[in-house]
Amino acid sequence: MTSGAVIELAGVTKVYGGAGPAGVRALRGINLRFRPGQYVSIEGPSGCGKTTLLNLLGLIDTPTEGEVRWDGVNVADGSERERARFRLRSIGFVFQRFYLLPTLTVRENVELPLRPLLRGRAERRARAVELLESVGLSARAGFYPSQLSGGEEQRVAIARALVNSPALLLADEPTGELDSDNAGKVLDLLEALHRERQTTLIVVTHNPEVARRARRHLTLRDGRVESDVREGETT
Amino acid sequence: MSERERRGGRKPGALPGILAVVAMAAAITLPVVLLSVGGGVSSHEIARLQASGYQIVVSGPGTAGIDLAHQRVGQIAAIPSVGAVSPTLTRPLDLRGPGGRWVPLLAEGIIPSAYYATLGSTASQVFSAPPNLGDPTDMIHYQNGSYAGPVSPDVLVNTTLAQADHLTVGDSVTLAPAANGSGAVTYTVTGTFNVVASLFSTSGNYGIYLPLSNLQVLTGLARTGPGPGGLLDAADSIHVGLTGTASTSPTQIARVVAALHALLPYYGVSTLSQEASQLEGAASILNGFYLVLSSVGLAIGFVFLTLVLVRRVEAERREIGIRRALGLPSRSIAATIVARAVLLGGAGALLGVASGIGTVTVLARVGSAPVQAASRLAVFSPVQLIALGVGALALAGVASAFAVRRALRLPLPEALR
Ligand SMILES: Nc1ncnc2c1ncn2[C@@H]1O[C@H](COP(=O)(O)OP(=O)(O)OP(=O)(O)O)[C@@H](O)[C@H]1O
Ligand SMILES: [Mg+2]
Repeated sequence: MTSGAVIELAGVTKVYGGAGPAGVRALRGINLRFRPGQYVSIEGPSGCGKTTLLNLLGLIDTPTEGEVRWDGVNVADGSERERARFRLRSIGFVFQRFYLLPTLTVRENVELPLRPLLRGRAERRARAVELLESVGLSARAGFYPSQLSGGEEQRVAIARALVNSPALLLADEPTGELDSDNAGKVLDLLEALHRERQTTLIVVTHNPEVARRARRHLTLRDGRVESDVREGETT
Repeated sequence: MSERERRGGRKPGALPGILAVVAMAAAITLPVVLLSVGGGVSSHEIARLQASGYQIVVSGPGTAGIDLAHQRVGQIAAIPSVGAVSPTLTRPLDLRGPGGRWVPLLAEGIIPSAYYATLGSTASQVFSAPPNLGDPTDMIHYQNGSYAGPVSPDVLVNTTLAQADHLTVGDSVTLAPAANGSGAVTYTVTGTFNVVASLFSTSGNYGIYLPLSNLQVLTGLARTGPGPGGLLDAADSIHVGLTGTASTSPTQIARVVAALHALLPYYGVSTLSQEASQLEGAASILNGFYLVLSSVGLAIGFVFLTLVLVRRVEAERREIGIRRALGLPSRSIAATIVARAVLLGGAGALLGVASGIGTVTVLARVGSAPVQAASRLAVFSPVQLIALGVGALALAGVASAFAVRRALRLPLPEALR
C-alpha cells in the first residue's frame, strides 16, 4: 500500500479521437501537485474535463502527453496490467453512479478488490464487515444492491473504495444522484474516513457543500486550471 | 433516468443462454446419429463378411446361370487350398401346410454337407451338422449325371414360418413351383432353423431349405435335355472356402481366383475381401461426408454461441468495466467468460449426445422398417462421443476468446460511461 505519496500531474494533455482537427482537447497542459492527505475539490462547468482529469489520476486512462507521477515516478506509462495492479493496491474510486455489481451482495461487492490481495476467505470477510461497520451498513451485508436506497448504495461504494486502504481516494460527483440529506451523510463519511486514514481525497463536484468542506479548491475551464485556491491562500 | 430504470432490464436473462445450449445440442445430435448409425451399419456388414465361412463367390450370368452344379464341386475342390465348395440355387415356391394355407416363399437348394462347410461361425450354430436333409452329399437323387435315385423329400422351415403355420417336425407339407399348384409334391418337415438377423435379410422369414437336386427338379432346372450331355443341373452361385491360413492370405486367394477363372472362363468370380475393402472404403467416405455435414452444424452452433457470449459481454459492459477499474486481474475477468462458455458448450454437448442417442433409440422403435433395422445396428463409440464433446468444448473455448477479447479491449473510460 502506497501511503503518503506525493502525486503530480506534469504537462498533462488529453486529446480524444486522434490528433487531427477532429480531436477533442479535453485537458491542456495541466500541472498539479497533491500533498499526502490533502482534501481537494474540483469544480467547473460541464465538459471542462473534470472526469477526464480524475480518470488520468486514477490510471483508468492514460494522458496523450505528460506524466502522472507518484513520488516522482511516472506510473501512467506502464502496461495495462501494471496499471491495473496499481489501481488495485493504491487507488479507491467512488463513481457518480454507484456502480455496485448487481449480482453480488453488499459484502461481496466490498470484498471484490480484496480477492487478488488477500488469500484467506475469512480474512477478506472480516475486513469487508469492518468497512461496512464504518459506513454504518453492517446490517445490510447480505442484501443485494437493488434492495438498498441510493444513499446506502453510495456508502457501500465508499466502503468498497476504501477496503484496500488506498493512498488516493477519487470520487466523481459522489453526491450527484443523492438528495441533500443523503449527500450530507455521504460527505460526512468521506470526510471522517479521510481524516482518520490520512488518505488523499479528490472529489469532483457541482455541490457547493462539498467545495466548502474541502481544503483546496480547483476550478477547471476548457481543459485548463482556472483557479487553485488553498485554505486562505490563492495560487 | 430513474433509479428503477437504471437497475432493471439490463441483463439479457437466461433465454439466449438456453438458445445457445439448444443450438449446440442440435449441432451435436446430427453427428451422433450419423456416426453411430452409419458406423454401425457398415461395421455390421464388414463383420458379417469377415465372419463368413467362404472367401470366393462364383456366379453365372443371370439367375440359375451356372450349369453342371454337382460336377463343378469336384472340379473346384481339386484346386489346391480349396476346402469347401457349395453350389446354391434360390427359387420362389409355394408351400401349403396342414392348415391348408398357401404361403409364397424362397427356397434355397443346397448340398447339405458342402453348404455347412461354407458357413461362418454364427451361421453354423443355426443348423445341425450337416443340415438334416437326407443324403449329405445330395447324390442319392442325383446320380452319375442323371436324376435316377430315390427322392429325399426333406425340408427345413424357419421357426417364424413354423410358428405362423403351426408346423412341427414330422408334418407333411405340399410344395409347388410358384404359381403352379399342379406340380405339387409332398415333403416332410425334418427340422427348423432360426432366422438370425445378422445372417439372413428379412426375406429369411420366408425361407426354406431343400436338397439341391429336389429344388432343381421341382422348378424345371434339372432338365436332362435333348442335346448331347444336355444336362442343366443349375445353380445361382458357388461359394468357395479356402483351407486354414489360405483363407486369410490375399495371395493364396488371388491364386485360387485365377485358377477358377481358368476353369470357368464365362463365370464371374469375386472375393469377399474385395467386397469388404469396397465396403470399408464406402464406409470411410460416408464417415467423412457425415463429418462434413456435422461440421456445418457445429459451425452454426459455434457462431450462435459466440454471438450469445459477445452479446452477454456487451450487456455486462459496465460490470466488466467496474471490475477492471477496481484493478481485478484480466485473468479473473476472462475466467468468468470462459467458464460461462464451457458451461454452455458442455451442457450443449451433453444434451446433444443424449438427444442423439435418444433419437437413434426412438428411430429403432418407430421408424420405417429399413430405418428401424439400421438404427438397431447403431454403435455408440465412446471415442467418437468424447471427441465430439471435446470438439464442442474447444469451440466454446474459441468462442469465449472472442468474447474475452471484446471485454478486455473496450477502453475503460467508455466501459464506465
Ligand atoms: N471518450 C471520449 N471521446 C471523445 N470525447 C470525449 C470523451 N470523453 C470525454 N470527451 C470530451 O472531453 C471533454 C471533457 O469531458 P469530461 O467528461 O472530462 O467533462 P466533465 O468536466 O466531467 O463534464 P461533466 O461535468 O458533464 O461530467 C468533453 O468535451 C467531452 O465531450
Ligand atoms: Mg464528469
